[in-house]
Amino acid sequence: MLKIRIIPCLDVIKNKVVKGVNFKNIRVMGNAVEMAKYYSLSGADELCMLDINASYQNRKTFIKTVEAIAKVINIPLTVGGGVSVLNDITDLLNAGADKVSINSAAVKNPKLIRQASLRHGSQCIVVAIDGKRHKNKMKVVIKGGREITNLELISWAKQVQSLGAGEILMTSMDTDGVQNGFDSNMLKKVTSNVGIPVIASGGVGSLEHFYLGHLTKSTGLLAASVFHSRKYKIKTVKKYLSSKGVPVRL
Amino acid sequence: MKKKVIGLIDGQSGNIGSINKAIKDIIKGRPYRLKIIKGHFNYSSFDKIILPGQGAYATLMSNLKKLKIIKPLKEYLENNSSYLGICVGMQILSDWGYEDKITRGLGVISGDIKKFRNKKLIIPHMGWNTINLNNDDTIITNSFDKKDFYFVHSYIFQNIKKSDVLAFTLYGQKFPSIIKKGNIYGVQFHPEKSHKHGLNLIKNYILKS
Repeated sequence: MLKIRIIPCLDVIKNKVVKGVNFKNIRVMGNAVEMAKYYSLSGADELCMLDINASYQNRKTFIKTVEAIAKVINIPLTVGGGVSVLNDITDLLNAGADKVSINSAAVKNPKLIRQASLRHGSQCIVVAIDGKRHKNKMKVVIKGGREITNLELISWAKQVQSLGAGEILMTSMDTDGVQNGFDSNMLKKVTSNVGIPVIASGGVGSLEHFYLGHLTKSTGLLAASVFHSRKYKIKTVKKYLSSKGVPVRL
Repeated sequence: MKKKVIGLIDGQSGNIGSINKAIKDIIKGRPYRLKIIKGHFNYSSFDKIILPGQGAYATLMSNLKKLKIIKPLKEYLENNSSYLGICVGMQILSDWGYEDKITRGLGVISGDIKKFRNKKLIIPHMGWNTINLNNDDTIITNSFDKKDFYFVHSYIFQNIKKSDVLAFTLYGQKFPSIIKKGNIYGVQFHPEKSHKHGLNLIKNYILKS
């Protein structure tokens, strides 16, 4: 039976894992390579890392960090942030990423999804979608939620699938960072409208939240704070899910 | 003592970094040598060949053709030499692939590569799933039975002889996750991404076969 994937997410600047999307209060949580190694050894099913400040200077160090991480883990690695053109994807795959996630660039230029999946195969193209409720509608937002686009969430999710995305990383900006649980309602709408895997992201604060995330039919559950702060070990989450009858890799 | 030569084919079908590193770690301090195959090769100069693959069947076949790898690889396999195909590297052992367009495969293990039948399944089949061993083998030993490995694929080996299936996995249906004919092995999952069990499998393949 296919297991639910528990995916720690590292928000990275250069080679440090940081917390706080709000650039004023960046807190360093640790060294990216060390943390990646720790998660791989402690039972993470996949790892996700995002370049949250992909400036020209920081990028070089970030790519080196991807290379260093790919060398020390032997679980799949998804890398995102700062991807704007096809060559950015190629660079990350060459650095050792197994999958690359595209966000704003896909919204601005949907053809990029098709080009990327034709060049590298759908299995390594993840489209990250940030969703937010606006005037009673679920919309796609970019720039960390600061800019609301005209795109309706569900039709965008369907579109990225038809353009060749192999997976959707779905973050709700209404629940992200609040630790009150995943946005079950938004996630269910997405999973019931696409046939590709969906990773739930944004809002995990308790063990029960993981279980509720599983009920949305998302096949991957992404979390950052609860792991980085050592509130839960990955094993703890998996044992809990297993006790609720959810298939996990122990 | 003469070193055994392992060939790792770079079919330009995904990154070979992880598998390259895994092999290097295993053979360190042991009488083996690793050579990357990027073009025509002399089939008799290799003791083992590993072909990892990602992406589409047709793409890998056409890459191998362009790189002039098909002919020596076929000669190598027809000699029942030792081979490990990973994901698409396993799939192209079949007669035909039905991904994108119908493509002729290497025809070493009879069967076809077709999409999962169940239309309601989430595709690709992505994540960790269990292998169930049909038979014990010197390389895929009993200790792997019921263990989880990392899969990512949308197509499966169909119409294969039962005797060529070493392990199967369930995802909407039963499908072959490890195949074997003589010294030729194929795994549908990615051992290089499958943490300790995956690395053990590669280790067994290199050291015990």
